[in-house]
Amino acid sequence: MSSGGSDLDKAIQQLRACRPIPENQVRELCYKARELLIEEGNVVGVDAPVTICGDIHGQFHDLMELFRVGGDVPDTNYLFMGDFVDRGFYSLESFLLLLCLKVRYPDRITLIRGNHESRQITTVYGFYDECLRKYGSANVWRYCCEVFDYLALGALVTGTATNLEPSEAPFADPSSQASMPGLDQDIEIETLNSNGEIMFRFARNGEVSQPSQAASAPSSSPLVDTPSRTGPSGTGATSSSNGSRGNDGGAVLCVHGGLSPLIDTIDKIRLLDRKQEVPHEGAMCDLLWSDPDEIDGWGLSPRGAGFLFGADIVKCFNHKNDLSLIARAHQLVMEGFKEMFDSTIVTVWSAPNYCYRCGNVAAILELGEDGSNAGFVRRANGDAGRKQNSVLMERGERGREGPGRRYRVFEAAPQDSRGMPAKKPVADYFL
Amino acid sequence: MTETRIPYQPLKALDRKSEHKFALPIKRIHDSQDVTFFLTTTGYSDIMTFLFQLNASVFPRKIQREGDLSEGVKIWEIRDSDLPLSSIVQQIKKLLDKLGSFIDEAPPNTGPRRFGNISFRKWYDIVRARLPDLMDEFLPNDILSLGIDVDESVSAKAELEVYLAGSFGSSQRLDYGTGHELSFLAFLGCLWKLGAFPQAEAGEEERAIVLGIIEPYFELIRCLILTYTLEPAGSHGVWGLDDHFFLPYIFGSAQLSPAINAPADIAAEGSLPNAPNPPDVAKASVVERERKTNMYFSAIGFINDVKRGPFWEHSPILFDISGVKAGWAKINKGMLKMYNAEVLSKFPVIQHFPFGSLFCWEKDLSAIAAASSVHTSNQPSNLTPTAQARSDPLQDQMQEGTRAPWIGQTPPGGGTATPWASRLPLRAPVPAPDGPTQSTRAHWSTPTSTLPPFVMGNTTSAPWARPGGSGVSSSSQTTMPSIWAPNPGLNKGPRKT
Repeated sequence: MSSGGSDLDKAIQQLRACRPIPENQVRELCYKARELLIEEGNVVGVDAPVTICGDIHGQFHDLMELFRVGGDVPDTNYLFMGDFVDRGFYSLESFLLLLCLKVRYPDRITLIRGNHESRQITTVYGFYDECLRKYGSANVWRYCCEVFDYLALGALVTGTATNLEPSEAPFADPSSQASMPGLDQDIEIETLNSNGEIMFRFARNGEVSQPSQAASAPSSSPLVDTPSRTGPSGTGATSSSNGSRGNDGGAVLCVHGGLSPLIDTIDKIRLLDRKQEVPHEGAMCDLLWSDPDEIDGWGLSPRGAGFLFGADIVKCFNHKNDLSLIARAHQLVMEGFKEMFDSTIVTVWSAPNYCYRCGNVAAILELGEDGSNAGFVRRANGDAGRKQNSVLMERGERGREGPGRRYRVFEAAPQDSRGMPAKKPVADYFL
Repeated sequence: MTETRIPYQPLKALDRKSEHKFALPIKRIHDSQDVTFFLTTTGYSDIMTFLFQLNASVFPRKIQREGDLSEGVKIWEIRDSDLPLSSIVQQIKKLLDKLGSFIDEAPPNTGPRRFGNISFRKWYDIVRARLPDLMDEFLPNDILSLGIDVDESVSAKAELEVYLAGSFGSSQRLDYGTGHELSFLAFLGCLWKLGAFPQAEAGEEERAIVLGIIEPYFELIRCLILTYTLEPAGSHGVWGLDDHFFLPYIFGSAQLSPAINAPADIAAEGSLPNAPNPPDVAKASVVERERKTNMYFSAIGFINDVKRGPFWEHSPILFDISGVKAGWAKINKGMLKMYNAEVLSKFPVIQHFPFGSLFCWEKDLSAIAAASSVHTSNQPSNLTPTAQARSDPLQDQMQEGTRAPWIGQTPPGGGTATPWASRLPLRAPVPAPDGPTQSTRAHWSTPTSTLPPFVMGNTTSAPWARPGGSGVSSSSQTTMPSIWAPNPGLNKGPRKT
């Protein structure tokens, strides 16, 4: 793979067919990727529109399904929040394809680091074994790990629209169309299935629509008139976010795990020295390992790394940094996505039927572009302390209008097309 | 290699059990050096000896037919009605049934959840609360009461209970793995050492243990996994042998190996005539037929029950093993080696195994000579380097260490942390680790009761974490920076646990 784009295109073609590329090509690809990633800040600036994705974990065929549902690169801009590798059978093909796309279309795809993009974790959870099995040596694993060290720690999406352009799409359950918010209303959330049919639509004034009972909505009260605490499946949308102050959705921070007690402003993330193996503790570790939880303040994580953090922490952080939303991955959610804490944080999970057994669906999150001000993007990137009255913010109140959010939910890719490979030589134990 | 035999050497019962001083099993393995030492202890050789003994018992036996000079073969199957079960075997089986019946009292929570069902904690709490009485009801009192009169009066019952209670998964993490499976093996090994099982000929009692206790135990665990969607302890996805189990593959392959007269005859290769072929594990219809009688196929049948997708893709290690040409005896031997290297020699798993007076943390002086004949010859040559090689993943030696595919078998959280965790002495944090299998932090686990309900799905635990910790170090709370403090209304500060 010399410098020409056609070689890269060839590699992309090969990887799309789920065939690994030769070791020397991997080396070159990883070298180029590092050159590219080293120029990125710890927090990459990303303009809407963008589609945000969670964990992939080597589920290559499901990644292809993701691209089918969400649109192909470079037609759709993507932001992947880490955990490309481990556990699945195709970590190698999945990560190398994403990396090829990154090198080929650097402005169209953003990759940030997950806790599995680490030497220590991949030696325990499968990627190391997979590389050894597929190449017979650990060289490719080593090249990939060198790339991991250069991946950004987060991304800040700006220029999002507060309200969605309603999809011109049929309804998954046509009979319930009548209960939808009218198209004249401001749409905050829309959920589509993998056929692009509308499953839910939620207006910013709090009207809930659940046309499809087939979807696994925990709510039993799909009444239109009642401003429900329960929005569409997986959302924490409430009627508390009334009114619209201009069509600017505010900035969205994307990070694999969550917050850190050592990080109170986004600028503090920018100051970290990220080009290293993920440490066992400290701010960088926490960003990749922490989880939101129904607690007050901070708690110890049962994972043994990172922390648990409660709604107060998220609301305070978002307010202080002028964020409307934190998008993160890192935890399986059966419905593919889960909004928490009055929609101040969302978990996005993109590995359907995780580990071949969990029976979950996957989701991706589309944030639209704010077209109302002719491309002018207001700054909302962690300008700490700008709001002087942060203490006045009450529990439950949204600091800032959230962006319009379109979730596309999809299931595991059909398996019929996968042929059976030859058996590999067994381990020494059986010789 | 092919002529290597597995010598038969049953686990010795205690000579003078009435004078024996029992001890509450405690954690001894704190770093990878401790794993290296573990492999030289009597605790280790007792585990392997007991495992070999059970393994040998389920090999088919050659029999002499009465009034007939021709030889026949007796095979041993799950639910074999011919199998004589001693009264203690039947009692333990009843005990397991009883534990299973508690599931009705702790139905799975139907509320929103991430993955593992929190009602498992309820089931586990019931088990913990009733276990002492159940042991009295189902286990021989003369065994349980041993040790009560001796000095500081730790009873045999107390020592046994630690292993038994550690056999059913982690209620904190809502998972189950090979560490828990090992704990059950040790529980049975303790009973064996205490002479609870009657003496019998030709492996009859061991066979009753495998088919009459261990297989029902697997059925109970499968039921728990299905009911409460218990996680593979720290799932390695496709890169483990199996998400939860290991022992069924050892015993199941033994069931299909060539018949023997005595354990010393165990062949290194070959299969029982008419046994299903190893490649049949990838054929769902054969698995459905064979799972009723064979433990290997039963385990694969369970995988097929819970996983969707091509077998070779979700279970590549088992798929590759199904390509072994030299038959079930070869697979059996490989499984034993692999168990030794991937379960007993892996820090993330074995760190949770506690040592008391029966499985001892003591150098096995006799084993140094025996080891070369009994164990080492049956182990992969790279066994000893395993732990060390793994401890520094950045070095090239990793390539030469254990062959990779199974590194994933059991997880960081894979052990049996909860039951004895509270008895652990507080220990100073160990120095910063240099590898994935060493821990770095102070004891980090939170007591079960304070755990938030939904955090434990299919999550990754830090391999350096210590789920078996005895509490929260105070220093971890003081590390919370003060930048979060000024807003008392918003932030209550670090949660007290």
